Amino acid sequence: MSSQISIEEVDIRGQICPSTLLTALREVNIRKADLKGGKICLTMLSDNRSSVTNISESVGSMGYQVDVKKEHDYYRITISRIP
Amino acid sequence: MSFIHLYMLTGCLLIGFAAGWVMHRSDYCVAGMFRDLFLFRSTFMLKTLLLLILVSIPLFEVARLTGSVKYPFPLFGTPSLANFLGGMLFGIGMVLAGGCVVGTLYKMGAGRFPSLLAFFGLVAGSGLYAEIHPYWSLFSRTVALPTKAVTVPQLLALPSWLVSGPLLLVFSVLVVRWFRRGQMMKPVVVDGYLQPWKAAILLAVIGFFSVLLVGMPLGITTAYSKMGALLEQSLVPEHYNQVVFFGLYPLQYIPPVGGGLLRGGPGASLDGIALIQFPLIAGIILGAAFSAWRLGEWRIQFSLPMRQVISALLGGIIMGLASRMAPACNIWHLMGGLPILAMQSILFLAGLLPGAWLGGILLSRLVLPR
Repeated sequence: MSSQISIEEVDIRGQICPSTLLTALREVNIRKADLKGGKICLTMLSDNRSSVTNISESVGSMGYQVDVKKEHDYYRITISRIP
Repeated sequence: MSFIHLYMLTGCLLIGFAAGWVMHRSDYCVAGMFRDLFLFRSTFMLKTLLLLILVSIPLFEVARLTGSVKYPFPLFGTPSLANFLGGMLFGIGMVLAGGCVVGTLYKMGAGRFPSLLAFFGLVAGSGLYAEIHPYWSLFSRTVALPTKAVTVPQLLALPSWLVSGPLLLVFSVLVVRWFRRGQMMKPVVVDGYLQPWKAAILLAVIGFFSVLLVGMPLGITTAYSKMGALLEQSLVPEHYNQVVFFGLYPLQYIPPVGGGLLRGGPGASLDGIALIQFPLIAGIILGAAFSAWRLGEWRIQFSLPMRQVISALLGGIIMGLASRMAPACNIWHLMGGLPILAMQSILFLAGLLPGAWLGGILLSRLVLPR
């Protein structure tokens, strides 16, 4: 029987720097146990180019898998456990 | 308008356009560099700023050797502790506003609403300075340093290359070491990303073209006062006529491309400042807007937490005020003044650091979500 991974989404578009990065790090830390346990996958929507780069770098260095995909005029950052 | 003036106007528009494009692609946010040093202990972007200054040193020296450029550049004056205090206030303002005077423009061009608020604040703050100018001017003269020298080489009575040469050599070794360790590169995750070290070199070259064209490095803050003056003149003309600051013409020089004496000041007239700085501002906004549009990323979102609205507006006002008190902004001092070792710029930087630290504390405690 395979366990279901739920996807949680946080929209951080339009905010001033560095609110986006700090919010992203806070959201990751709040869900740390579930993310590390592979129970959830966190996606964030950001339209701030600098923050997308910084979130990807910072969260990646915390030991998560980070995927960035462009969607229309913003970026979707997907954070999950390293398989 | 003469042909030479039209040439300068077009050139400034193109220079601004190039700067706006480069800054947007690399997100070359100078406010962020100093803020992140204190908030995240990150020195990555500051390393590229050092590279920019190092590349500018020989380029400005070449411009000086052409003989057509006044050296030190016009509008740089003798040092005063007012430069330090202005820099400190500027540091607080730029962190709260989420961008410096130029960062605000390129972000606004890319459709960022907080930067539009900061822009309004900048115009208001620059106009507000006019009211306190007589007192601040007196204070600035009172705390002036006892020297007639504008730059460190002048203070030491040495040729400029003899002072900047060794500095260039020492810091270049450091930058080369950072390159070898891979500390000058960011992972590419967004479309059309320009590595900040490439942006630094391009911005140094853009600054060089600005010096060749108008005889000065990039600078736009007096234009904000002019916008404030234009508003004040149309809304309260009687009061406008009584404000001494708006009647000043600090810029009086002959540009390298000729055209005779060019005068300019913060008042509402369409003078030399308007000729140089208005097209630069328009160019930066357009360059960033074009870059964002080409990437399909231009968008504007008006919803913003109230604390961030206040922070952007207040930060803009503080920055506008400080940019006249300093005088001038971080781009002028860091990218234009430091390469020629202007003492005003060194004092401005010395103030900018504690200012950005204080701004970071205010931002994280009062503005950002906990």
